[in-house]
Amino acid sequence: MVVGDFANEVDVLVVGGGPGGYVAAIRAAQLGRKVTLVDKGELGGVCLNRGCIPSKALITAAERVQQIKEADRMGIRVNGDIAVDLPELMNWKDGVVKKLTGGVGTLLKGNKVDVIKGEAYFSGPDTVRIATEKDSQTYQFKDCIIATGSRPVELPSLPFDGKRILSSTEILSLQELPKRLLVVGGGYIGLELGTAYRKLGSEVTILEGTDSLLPGVDPSLVRMVTRKLKKLGVTVVTGAMVQGGESSEDEVRVTAQVKGEEKTYAADVVLVAVGRKPNTDELGLEQVGIQLDERGFIKVDKQLRTSVPHIYAIGDVAGGALLAHKASYEGKVAAEVIAGMPSEVDVRAMPFVIFSDPEIAYTGLTEQEAKEKGYDPVVSRFAFQANGRALTMDSADGFAQVVADKESKQILGVQIVGPEASTLISEAVLAIEMGANAEDVSLSVHAHPTLPEAVMEAAEGVLGQAIHMVKK
Amino acid sequence: RRRRVPAAPSTRRLARELGVDITQIKGTGSQGRVTDEDVRRAAAALQE
Repeated sequence: MVVGDFANEVDVLVVGGGPGGYVAAIRAAQLGRKVTLVDKGELGGVCLNRGCIPSKALITAAERVQQIKEADRMGIRVNGDIAVDLPELMNWKDGVVKKLTGGVGTLLKGNKVDVIKGEAYFSGPDTVRIATEKDSQTYQFKDCIIATGSRPVELPSLPFDGKRILSSTEILSLQELPKRLLVVGGGYIGLELGTAYRKLGSEVTILEGTDSLLPGVDPSLVRMVTRKLKKLGVTVVTGAMVQGGESSEDEVRVTAQVKGEEKTYAADVVLVAVGRKPNTDELGLEQVGIQLDERGFIKVDKQLRTSVPHIYAIGDVAGGALLAHKASYEGKVAAEVIAGMPSEVDVRAMPFVIFSDPEIAYTGLTEQEAKEKGYDPVVSRFAFQANGRALTMDSADGFAQVVADKESKQILGVQIVGPEASTLISEAVLAIEMGANAEDVSLSVHAHPTLPEAVMEAAEGVLGQAIHMVKK
Repeated sequence: RRRRVPAAPSTRRLARELGVDITQIKGTGSQGRVTDEDVRRAAAALQE
């Protein structure tokens, strides 16, 4: 040890500067704690640097291209080819990322959070060693929040090579549009990026191991997306078990068992998006005795405490839904618990959003889940085809659906597939959190003409009184 | 099956702050909604 065992004392140590970690650090600072945040990479974590934000930037650009192509229907003639300058597009995307990560840095500074760029390793139950570029020092903490996130799962038979076999990280920074893109994994990451590259001009094939895209998502929502993929010319192969692949000078060939038959897919690049795993290794967790669950995520209680009570874990590393907003929420809870507040994870409606085409968003219970929980649910579905705003947007595929308790009409869940579903779901989250019933939503005036009217009408349908839909 | 207590997130937080188990409170709001007042009353009863 270069510097010896002199311990720097910190109040709250946050390990990881992603959407969980930086929010936890700010909230703890708001509550008067002295906070140190350590991150080995860029502030903002996966979400800002190689996840949510860059992917949505690419999706928006791809959607813009698609809209230009489809503008013809509105009598808008675009003469000549649409050229996508990928390096310039990536530049623009990088600019968005930079603005946001810079903002996080400014916020941390403004809240007087000490930020250290380095790697943290637990050397005891209240000490970490932080290795920076310059040196390695021991820090002693009173409380610690682990927010180290997750990373893409590698397929042993198709290991990332950074050239042709890529993770979501590299596919978000391609400098050349692949003529043929193969996507392994039909989850939301593969689907979102596959759709975007298709719209930018690639030929796209998606291989999914189960018998449907987006396993785990209500099939009636997925159906609308599958239909659109077909229209866009994306090839979807379900029941495809990838056996392995080989890169050569000019392509990559992937073999898969498809319903008992061996098939080979050639592509310029393959995106492997089969899942994410927690960053729990190389932290020295075993030195502290922090328990992991059977899938390797850190076990936490409702207050986000690990098996070592003054060490907390939040976000992807703590398992559950791997979502940025879930991580941020948990970050606030953990910071409040450390500050002595009686906070705990108390979420009735976690929003799930997929930026597919059309978008999917859902929260609360599906009809099936409601039945399993002992409710007698009533389901009402309102099609965007009957929503004026959706038609004026030339984007009327999909529906909003409300699942309510038959007796009390309390809203239990909302599922949306359609334009701006990602935005529309917020009203549903608030309704469920507030314990609103269908009447509450139907009696709230929704602006016309807007997409949220579809949610209002679905709620009216629960009561049997939707205006723009004839009762069956 | 016990239904979830209809209560706003802020009311649920208040119950935690005052050390009251919200599932044990009978709400006096519309359709059994637990109000801040219900929570405060329950907390006061615990004090006695």
